[in-house]
Amino acid sequence: MLNRIVGKEIRNSLSSYKCSITRVLTTLELIVGKEMRHNLFSYKFSIITILTTILILVSIFIMYLDYCLARENYEILRSSTYAIPLTSEGISEATPVVIPPTPLSIFAKGLDENLCRSYERGFGGGVSVNSNRQSVNNLFKLFTVPDLLYVIKVILSLCAMLFSFDIVSGEKETGTLRQSLSNSLKRPILIIGKWIGGFTSFILPFFVAVLLGTAFVTLKPTVDMSPQNWAKLGLFLLSSVIYLSVFFSLGLLISCLTHQSSLSLVISLFVWTILVFVIPNLGNILARQLVRIPTVQQLDLRREQIQIRKGIEVNRPQTTMYERMEALERFNSENEMLGEDYRNRFNRLVTISKNITRISPAAAFTFQATDIMGTGMLEERKLKRAVRQYMHSEANSPAFSYQRSSFREVLGRGGLSNCLILILFNVLFFTGAYVAFLRYDAR
Amino acid sequence: MLKTIIAREFLNNILDLRFIVGLVLCVIITVACTIILSHDYGKELADYNIRVNLQDDFLSNYATRGRISGMVPHQKPPERFRPLIIGISGNENSKSFDDNPLPILFPSLDFLFIVTIIMSLLAILFSYDAITGERQRGTLRLVIANSISRTTILFGKLVGGAASLLIPFILSLLLGVLYINLNPNIQWDGLAWVELVLLTVASITFIMLFYLLGLMVSTFSRYSATSILSCLFLWVLLILVIPNVCPYISAQLRRVPSIRETERQSEEIGQAYDEVHQQRRKQVVNKFRSAYGGLFSKLESLGFGRILDDEIDDREKVGGLAAADPQFRTMVDAFRHELDQVSSEVRGAERQEVDKLWGDLNTKVAAQTKLAKNLACISPLANFVYVARDLTGTGLRSLQYFEKTKSEYRKLFWRYVSKKVEDARKNDPTFRRDTFLDLSDYSRFEFKEEALRGKLGEVLPYWGILVLFNVVFFVAAFAGFMRYDVR
Repeated sequence: MLNRIVGKEIRNSLSSYKCSITRVLTTLELIVGKEMRHNLFSYKFSIITILTTILILVSIFIMYLDYCLARENYEILRSSTYAIPLTSEGISEATPVVIPPTPLSIFAKGLDENLCRSYERGFGGGVSVNSNRQSVNNLFKLFTVPDLLYVIKVILSLCAMLFSFDIVSGEKETGTLRQSLSNSLKRPILIIGKWIGGFTSFILPFFVAVLLGTAFVTLKPTVDMSPQNWAKLGLFLLSSVIYLSVFFSLGLLISCLTHQSSLSLVISLFVWTILVFVIPNLGNILARQLVRIPTVQQLDLRREQIQIRKGIEVNRPQTTMYERMEALERFNSENEMLGEDYRNRFNRLVTISKNITRISPAAAFTFQATDIMGTGMLEERKLKRAVRQYMHSEANSPAFSYQRSSFREVLGRGGLSNCLILILFNVLFFTGAYVAFLRYDAR
Repeated sequence: MLKTIIAREFLNNILDLRFIVGLVLCVIITVACTIILSHDYGKELADYNIRVNLQDDFLSNYATRGRISGMVPHQKPPERFRPLIIGISGNENSKSFDDNPLPILFPSLDFLFIVTIIMSLLAILFSYDAITGERQRGTLRLVIANSISRTTILFGKLVGGAASLLIPFILSLLLGVLYINLNPNIQWDGLAWVELVLLTVASITFIMLFYLLGLMVSTFSRYSATSILSCLFLWVLLILVIPNVCPYISAQLRRVPSIRETERQSEEIGQAYDEVHQQRRKQVVNKFRSAYGGLFSKLESLGFGRILDDEIDDREKVGGLAAADPQFRTMVDAFRHELDQVSSEVRGAERQEVDKLWGDLNTKVAAQTKLAKNLACISPLANFVYVARDLTGTGLRSLQYFEKTKSEYRKLFWRYVSKKVEDARKNDPTFRRDTFLDLSDYSRFEFKEEALRGKLGEVLPYWGILVLFNVVFFVAAFAGFMRYDVR
């Protein structure tokens, strides 16, 4: 008897839950559908879709050609030889240390050009670098690299904000918000539905364009994508979606805080400028002020002088073998200490600069993307350490071999911390938008 | 009437929220940027002084004939305009292993950035609804219904809007310059101030260009919403896309062989000429063999005239024989003479070809850079960057100029050192490569900025393009507004 009653009650409540869930889902579907239709037919949608599609395809194509150039350059550098200066058995020849460019640099070039320079044993145990790029076009220094990372970081983030800046304030102006809310529609459902609908209609064209570009590039025989690289590319795309959703939520938040769409546009554009350009670029210089670090020129000058002094002391006549050895030891340790000190300071600089700039989602995304793709600061540090170790070993040791960080390594070395920051921003902005919308005056 | 319209437009803009937001943003960013960069300049200057002193100390302690080549004291001082504009780094190939790669990921923020990104965006925001907004509110109709010509209205909007737009810019620039002026580390001479004024005028040209762009788009659209989207679309293309894509396009259109490849080719040329050389020598030897017969085989038996070696094995014996036999002597002299001629001919041709190869590479590089530069001229940003950088000595031109003055100084320094060495040799017969040289009275390297005339010659064409853009956009806006349907 009791069992039956309890069972019935449970069934009842379950079915009512089911009912309400289906009701919520249907409303949500309705709102998402409406939002998407609304977007699809707008001028904004067509212009942004055309812009992003063209940009993404052009960027991937150009960076593919650039990758081919880098590849050719690598082949030339690899087959060349250079003379090692000042070894004990006179001048001997060696091949420079050089690593191949990664096909992922098509999508996020990052520091790849820096990494793919050739490293040679320099004067007195130092390392000299040589880029000998095929293209010695000086104008590259004036402008930025137009890779997919740049397109997403700068242009698509702007587009995301353009999609969302008038979601609420625009509807208020046209008067439809009042009508929607006068029905039995709950505000949370409305805002969630708007977010889902708006973001989907924004992100779909992006995905189509990226897939097209990726298909084009990966079908080329020169691009050798390993399964590792596919996984990295997938993670990159996932984090770029998270990044774009941060800006979408931010636009929504601004839209919920303002009552005119022109005002929310102005604020959105300024916030975008600050987040994408000002904080990362200014934070970088700011970090330099906080760490006392000599310039590279000074470091190189000091090193050169140590080498010359070493040459003088060691070759001075009327010294015993023991004194010479001692002098050699002293200078070598002095040189070593100089490098060690510089590296410590430099690592501090990088850490501080990372922490300052991470207030901006754009910087967090840049670190995240370049680290995943193996063209970032993590890779740079790893490569430099490997090169240094190799250079310190004997001149006739086996050939230099280097593997870029694997997928697992990237994840293991805190590669996801930046992703977490992005998610945190997203949650923060969306919650802000949600709360602001609950209190929004729709009249 | 014009005055009324200007005053109204000005007042309207100033009371708008975007003016306040723009003003606050502009002032904060410019001042923060100037303070940080001035501090950075101070650090750079200190580092430069340390480097100069290091080299000075070193020269006064360790200068010897054999070691001097690595110690020529020419350090590059930080650019004068560093507190405003960060210069571009030097030659890519001479970069160091330990250099800092962070600026590659995040290009630095400076005055150029503030003008090109923030001010241009602000300019568009000021003008995108100048016409469409008034049409939508219905005020445009009322104004036109009075006896005012459309030209007056457009001019009024242009002048009033521009005046209100330039307030944030001028104000923040003044604050920044005030800070620079008060900073004891930074000493600007008259030329720098002239350059600053020119830079300001160029910036105003650039900002006005975007104001006119917004005005033009506004006269061609019906609604503010479409107008702002079209404006932003153009802005993204002109500022963020075209300048960055152009160098890559030109790198594909004009291929340049790599430096290593050229090195390899010049080595190949050298080998080819070695062979030619050898053959020519063989011919000479054969000629002499047939001409002199026995006498020449005597010479050959001494190891002389062997195909490749220039060295004579038995120089003394040959000398002895030549002294004994005048005929032998004439033969040896003629033989030597002919060999010398052959080798100078062959080596001359080789050098010519190698020089041509490198010259070719340089012209190709120059052609590629020029193509990229001209392609990028479609974008006002590129034009403005050339003007601003070359004017203030923070661009490619000043890098080249520095290299030139550096090599001139090198020559001067070497002349000085060789004179010192000669003197030392006279005074001290035991002078050797590692004897200490007293170089205390050498003339210090001082980098002087290039004269304004040369810079202006470089800059004016690009400035002209900027002005041309202004004119084109204004004419288009004018034409658009003349046929604008105000209903």
